Amino acid sequence: MSTAATGAAGAGRRAGDEPVLDVRGLHVRTRHTELLSDVDLTIRRGERVGLIGESGSGKSLTALAVLGLLGEGLTATGGVHLAGHEGNLLERSEGGLARIRGDDMAMVFQEPMTALNPTMRVGAQVAEAMTVHGSASRSQARRRAVDLLDQVGLPDPEHAARAYPHQLSGGQRQRVVAAIALANDPVLLVCDEPTTALDVTVQALVLDLIVTGVQSRDAALLFITHDLAVVATVCERVLVMYGGRIVEAGPVGQVFTDPRHQYTAGLLAASDLTAAGARRERSALPTIPGTVPPAGRFPDGCVFRNRCPAATGQCATRPPWTPRGDHGAGETASGYACFYPAGGELR
Amino acid sequence: MSEVASGEVVRSEAVSSEVPAIRLQDVGRDFRRPRRSLTQAPPVVHAVRGVTLDIERGERFGIVGESGSGKSTLLRMICGLDRPTSGSIEVEGRPIHNQPAARLGWLRHTLQLVFQDPMSSLDPRMRVRDIVAEPLVAQGQGSGAARRARVVELLEAVGLSADSADRYPHQFSGGQRQRISVARALAPGPDILVADEPVSALDVSVRAQVLNLIDDVVDGFDLTLVFVSHDLSVVRHVCDRVAVMRQGEFVEVAPTEQLYADPRHPYTQQLVSAIPDLHAALDGRAAADLARAVRERSPDA
Ligand SMILES: Nc1ncnc2c1ncn2[C@@H]1O[C@H](COP(=O)(O)OP(=O)(O)O)[C@@H](O)[C@H]1O
Ligand SMILES: Nc1ncnc2c1ncn2[C@@H]1O[C@H](COP(=O)(O)OP(=O)(O)O)[C@@H](O)[C@H]1O
Ligand code: SF4
Ligand SMILES: [Mg+2]
Ligand SMILES: [Mg+2]
Repeated sequence: MSTAATGAAGAGRRAGDEPVLDVRGLHVRTRHTELLSDVDLTIRRGERVGLIGESGSGKSLTALAVLGLLGEGLTATGGVHLAGHEGNLLERSEGGLARIRGDDMAMVFQEPMTALNPTMRVGAQVAEAMTVHGSASRSQARRRAVDLLDQVGLPDPEHAARAYPHQLSGGQRQRVVAAIALANDPVLLVCDEPTTALDVTVQALVLDLIVTGVQSRDAALLFITHDLAVVATVCERVLVMYGGRIVEAGPVGQVFTDPRHQYTAGLLAASDLTAAGARRERSALPTIPGTVPPAGRFPDGCVFRNRCPAATGQCATRPPWTPRGDHGAGETASGYACFYPAGGELR
Repeated sequence: MSEVASGEVVRSEAVSSEVPAIRLQDVGRDFRRPRRSLTQAPPVVHAVRGVTLDIERGERFGIVGESGSGKSTLLRMICGLDRPTSGSIEVEGRPIHNQPAARLGWLRHTLQLVFQDPMSSLDPRMRVRDIVAEPLVAQGQGSGAARRARVVELLEAVGLSADSADRYPHQFSGGQRQRISVARALAPGPDILVADEPVSALDVSVRAQVLNLIDDVVDGFDLTLVFVSHDLSVVRHVCDRVAVMRQGEFVEVAPTEQLYADPRHPYTQQLVSAIPDLHAALDGRAAADLARAVRERSPDA
């Protein structure tokens, strides 16, 4: 039923295989510190792309820059292009961005209450999201709100529509946020740790609803998480971020079974609790020495070199991007930036 | 259970090895919620219900469950920080459930606790040396010089340099702070280490470091470990035997591998099938499969 509202516009903007989201050379800085450097990312329609890395690597900043939600004191340069919208989103006014957000581009963050109005009934909030962006009349919107709450798996959606956010559980609130995000059939959905605060059974349901929601709309998904198993479950392609840079990218199966960047290899080894040896013989887990430095304290050259077991003097210069294979979404979609790539032996 | 054998090493001062490290009999804990109306009795939360269990010496025992299932409440009672409303708790054969705090001084030598968030459990105004020595000072153990030497020994045991002693908690990363809390827990030479979500706030690479540390100290100091987590993969890695907690009750207790390979209770089945797993995902298990398993195995269905 939602196709009627978006079909016409959708046909135009979704034609061809051009990317839904195209980010080129994105930099984000404070007055003193560069926080994101030279981030390239492309997501085609229907594609689900994960962005992983430990805390402090720049994942949330990437999402916020794309959405035009960077806080005071941060400046972004580079290019952010969204299908159906002319020009660089980084150059748009806040008013222009606000119209795009919640319409063509929607988001789900870790804490659902940041997206909900505590004093407004849930159904009205979903309906409002649809009327504000003009995809439905008021009475249509009310009816569709209940449908949407049903689609995202809220038990007794009629009743849930009349509830206030605090009367719902954390998992139910996150579904409401997802319903609002999907309400206008966005071309791009950005999720930042959407299930990190949820219990594992609830997480499974919310992940399913996100995947089903983007699949049925043929939307592009940018899915941020620190959890490798979650990203492997949800996404087809993955970007690995460290020190504000994308250090490796590629199809999930390739990056997770045959990583090239030394950071990716270290991260995978350290997180693999189910590796047979680690469990049964209780041998020590592989670790990455040290910790993620605070912003502005990453080494120049390769950002990982002060923790990297393979580093040499050469790593003091910036490793170039080495494309890997021939990916349809371009050479930044699959490759790595490392002088001494891991390879083969980790299989 | 051959893994447990190493824990049955006879200790010089020890209680007989027949006595379990921890014995819980029909332990319950109710909380009264604030009264909502004058005519109705205030609602009661049964945070822990009818938990009966022996944890053997040297065992690595895990408790998993979703948030609010009662894990922390149970641990607090085991540590003497809270008292059950019913049932009995013995640590190394001595009852703790009916003792005033003043008579539980001995428990601090026997059992020590590590929390999830080292920042809130470490006093920001204290130097690391005083934090680690605190349990020793509290018990009047050792002279000043002996305590200083002990602090250095403990810091080194957890992989921190001796000069860390002069610094403050905020000067350390999350993983290092968790090392400091482990050093403090080891200070009085406990037999039992209790950990409540000790790696839940840590990044993957640091989590691996802290899990290795816990493994090392449990082995090296011959400890009994009680390890609580909402993360089944972590518990599987760490523990020999696992209890699954739901709504205050243990629904299943089994050796780890058995629990994961052949879960018996519908709730355990649901939990196990909901865990995202990297290898399974690469073999094609999608979000829809996890969700389907959760729906089909709902214990309330
Ligand atoms: N407004 C800001 N001002 C200064 N530094 C910031 C700001 N926002 C984020 N940072 C820093 O940028 C780095 C990346 O942050 P973030 O994108 O939140 O990381 P992640 O989401 O990967 O954990 C961190 O070191 C963080 O402290
Ligand atoms: N001091 C308290 N007063 C009232 N209710 C409490 C108190 N402590 C815990 N509870 C309740 O007991 C239940 C179990 O909580 P908890 O033991 O913290 O669970 P877990 O550690 O498994 O997340 C929850 O419903 C919680 O709200
Ligand atoms: S470029 Fe050098 S320092 Fe960076 S990951 Fe590769 S080997 Fe390590
Ligand atoms: Mg973040
Ligand atoms: Mg708890």
